[in-house]
Amino acid sequence: MSIEILTLLFFGSLLFFVFLGLPLAFVLGGVSVVFLYFTWGFDSFYMVASQIWSTMGSFTLVAIPLFVFMAMILERTGVAKDLYRAMHLWFGGLRGGLAIGTLVICAIFAAMVGISGAAVVAMGTIALPAMLERGYDRSMCLGVINTGGGWGILIPPSIMMILYALISGVSVGKMFAAGILPGILLMVLTALYILIRSSLQPHLAPALPPEERGTLREKLLALRSVALPVLIVFMVLGSIMGGITTPTEAAAMGVLGSLIAAAAYRKLEFGLLKEASIRTFKLTGMIMWILFAAHAFSAAYQSMGAQALIEEFMALIPGGPWGVIIAMMLITFILGMVLDPVGIMLITLPVFLPIVESLGFDPIWFGILFVINMEIGYMTPPFGFNLFYLKGIVPPGITMKDIYKSVIPFVLVEIVGLALLMIFPEIVTYLPELFF
Amino acid sequence: QEEETFTWKVQSHWPGASSSYKDSLGRLKEQLEERSNGRIQLELFEAGSLFKAKETFNAVSRGILEMGTISPAYASDKMTLAGIASGLPFAFRNVWEAAYFHQGLGFEEMLREEAAQHGVYWSTDKVYPTEMVVKDPVESLEEFKSLKIRSSGALQKFLTEAGAAASYIPGGELYTALDSGIVDGAHWGAAQGAYSMGLYEIAKYHVQPALNIAGTDVIIVSQKAMDKLPEDLQQLVKDVLNEQFWYRTNEYQYKERVTLAKAMAEEGVQINTLPDPVQDHLVQTAQSMWDEEGERSEKAAEALAMLKDFLGDLGYL
Amino acid sequence: MRAITAFMNGVTRLNKAIGVGVSFLVFAMFVFILLEVFLRYAFNSPTVWTNELTQLLFGAYAVLSGGYLMAHRGHVNVDLIHSLLGPRMQAAVDVFTSILFFIFTLALLYFGVDMALESVSSWETSYSAWNPPIWPVKVCIPVGTALLVLQGIVKLLEDIAIACNLSYYQPDDHPEHDPKGEQL
Ligand code: NA
Ligand code: NA
Repeated sequence: MSIEILTLLFFGSLLFFVFLGLPLAFVLGGVSVVFLYFTWGFDSFYMVASQIWSTMGSFTLVAIPLFVFMAMILERTGVAKDLYRAMHLWFGGLRGGLAIGTLVICAIFAAMVGISGAAVVAMGTIALPAMLERGYDRSMCLGVINTGGGWGILIPPSIMMILYALISGVSVGKMFAAGILPGILLMVLTALYILIRSSLQPHLAPALPPEERGTLREKLLALRSVALPVLIVFMVLGSIMGGITTPTEAAAMGVLGSLIAAAAYRKLEFGLLKEASIRTFKLTGMIMWILFAAHAFSAAYQSMGAQALIEEFMALIPGGPWGVIIAMMLITFILGMVLDPVGIMLITLPVFLPIVESLGFDPIWFGILFVINMEIGYMTPPFGFNLFYLKGIVPPGITMKDIYKSVIPFVLVEIVGLALLMIFPEIVTYLPELFF
Repeated sequence: QEEETFTWKVQSHWPGASSSYKDSLGRLKEQLEERSNGRIQLELFEAGSLFKAKETFNAVSRGILEMGTISPAYASDKMTLAGIASGLPFAFRNVWEAAYFHQGLGFEEMLREEAAQHGVYWSTDKVYPTEMVVKDPVESLEEFKSLKIRSSGALQKFLTEAGAAASYIPGGELYTALDSGIVDGAHWGAAQGAYSMGLYEIAKYHVQPALNIAGTDVIIVSQKAMDKLPEDLQQLVKDVLNEQFWYRTNEYQYKERVTLAKAMAEEGVQINTLPDPVQDHLVQTAQSMWDEEGERSEKAAEALAMLKDFLGDLGYL
Repeated sequence: MRAITAFMNGVTRLNKAIGVGVSFLVFAMFVFILLEVFLRYAFNSPTVWTNELTQLLFGAYAVLSGGYLMAHRGHVNVDLIHSLLGPRMQAAVDVFTSILFFIFTLALLYFGVDMALESVSSWETSYSAWNPPIWPVKVCIPVGTALLVLQGIVKLLEDIAIACNLSYYQPDDHPEHDPKGEQL
């Protein structure tokens, strides 16, 4: 059977079972097993078990339970609540102020982690209830967390940039430097969108009524509650930049910080820790079982000859150099809906990179476009991983449909950002040229 | 009558950008396909695509994959000779010595016999040195002992015994760790490895002599797949693999030198030759550790004795 | 019929108990990483064992979560079509899609057992600088999968009962009756 037909069947059955409501992890795993049977035979199921064993051995993923645990403690002790109260007092007068504040926290979080799932779950825990409580629109909140939570791979340190550097042979340092301005650009664009949208439709992100904005004294007192979160950020970021820990190890510093915060709030008790650890287990398990199956899925797809398909496809693209780049973005975007980033990179980059370089484009610039595109893929329906991670954390009343709808404007904003980076490549190349 | 074509899935342990992916696997694919008139086809998969590095030996052994590349360390569980194959620290001083030990003295044959028990045909891709890069030059034994080094496997144990602080950091976090000073030095292959990981951007001293010289890259073929080939093709595969060893060992040496020269010219890299007291200390530490590897099996003891005789003949012991 | 109910409640209770126990491993991971950072930074003497032990604990932690999650409906899905259907139709659809669930988990169980037996037969160690036994963690793969399969059978029996209006299933802690079930 040709790879084209296999691809249609492969993704078609994925779509079919996901919409029938079988959990994503089992659909990815089950479809892989069925297709492996027909393309490679019974023995190849060993690959599924083997992929799970390998995923269990990925040290980078240890950061997930730790960062989630940190968020759970911050939420249950009230630290997060007080932080949002302070933010509300200071920026509450601004429509959309809390959403923008959430974006800033997301960006800081992204600078602390190199992966995406932990931030979505952590920010979903901390920020979602705080914003909903203050009358923010459900779609607005979900969209903000989905976008901002995904920035972990976009703002350095980023596992994806390191992987891209390994596959393409460009410098990791230059990739990191190149990612900084685009990260800021996306943040500014998203913030602008929130400001404009909430000034047109104030009910989406209401400002705090003037009489509740508090006196200067109240505002200053509220700042006390910012001290602990700042301490935690300082511990995590400081230990990465100061050469004390790797980004993965820094997650443990975050937990330490949150325990100190809990002690300061006199909430450091067994009941709270037990509840936090059980919730952490549930969310980490959800992420890990999706990853287990996703890794098996992309290995199965690669074994069927995915790379050959991309090669054939690229040969058909008309429209000159920019047509090729846009086609590559589209392919990445579509694959981003269903495959994990490592799989996408392994399938597409060996085909894309020689073409990109022969057309005279800068591979670092292309790498940043690629990473942003993958971040978009994480949050686009139907299968963006971030959507599923978010679904795992939201209160029961919020359905997948709400989450799907919420991301649309934010995806459009990111696509605008992507287009800007294509038109003005200097935004990407300026810092690496300055530093190296 | 049309002849049957054999398509083999080959899982690499090298990422696509690694020089060995093209130079070793690319060459092998080209040689096999050309010399078999297209009757053997290799389908290459980059590191981690189908199986992770540590799982590749099992997959080839079960016949799920027809071929793979590994480092002997990834097969330590099955191969008692793996420790010696992946390199005893400070044993050989030149690459040709390691090559002669494998091919002239019969160590390669011993490896092949042990691998055959697991349904695997073992063929060393090349022998080459593993060398360290550091951010500040090592001028004394004290300085060596104060180093924090990113390492892995047997060398991590060796460097720890020698008094340095060796810790394992995954490849993906190596650059950042070295940059921010979590570690002061690292080994990732030698010059080409360090260059491909961008380590020379942040660590300007290339340390010599090598920590070890060994057959650290291996091509493994499933015996099941081999048995399915007609006689002539089986012989062809073995011949091509044998040539591969000599061709790649030599070419790799050349590329090491060229890469190091480039790093020196472009990045201002300097060679840091370890002072004699440090070298003496490392050799002593190393020799006291060799015997452990010999204890894994009778074959390992035999190989170790052979190695010691050889080094004695060379006047090193 | 009573036996079926007992089986279902027993499996669910087992998974919930195991989950609560395993969840505490997060403390161990935290402590070991912190210890490594402390020893490396303050005493310049990193250990060979902390990160690897953390890694092994994490592997067990992750793979043993499957059944617990299933018992709490924690594996996320797309509820677009579900939400349009009544409970009986929902259950019927779930009975149908469970085919794919069992294909995946049984294949994983078969090869997980295979992999674990191979590992146990040589008391496999990691051959790192520390060289700890890794067979116990490999054994966690079939154990975790078996717990997931058992909970999957419970879910299937429950769905059949709901779809066909049978009365054998009298859950003692049905997630839908448990207001905190979604959160915990
Ligand atoms: Na990041
Ligand atoms: Na997506």
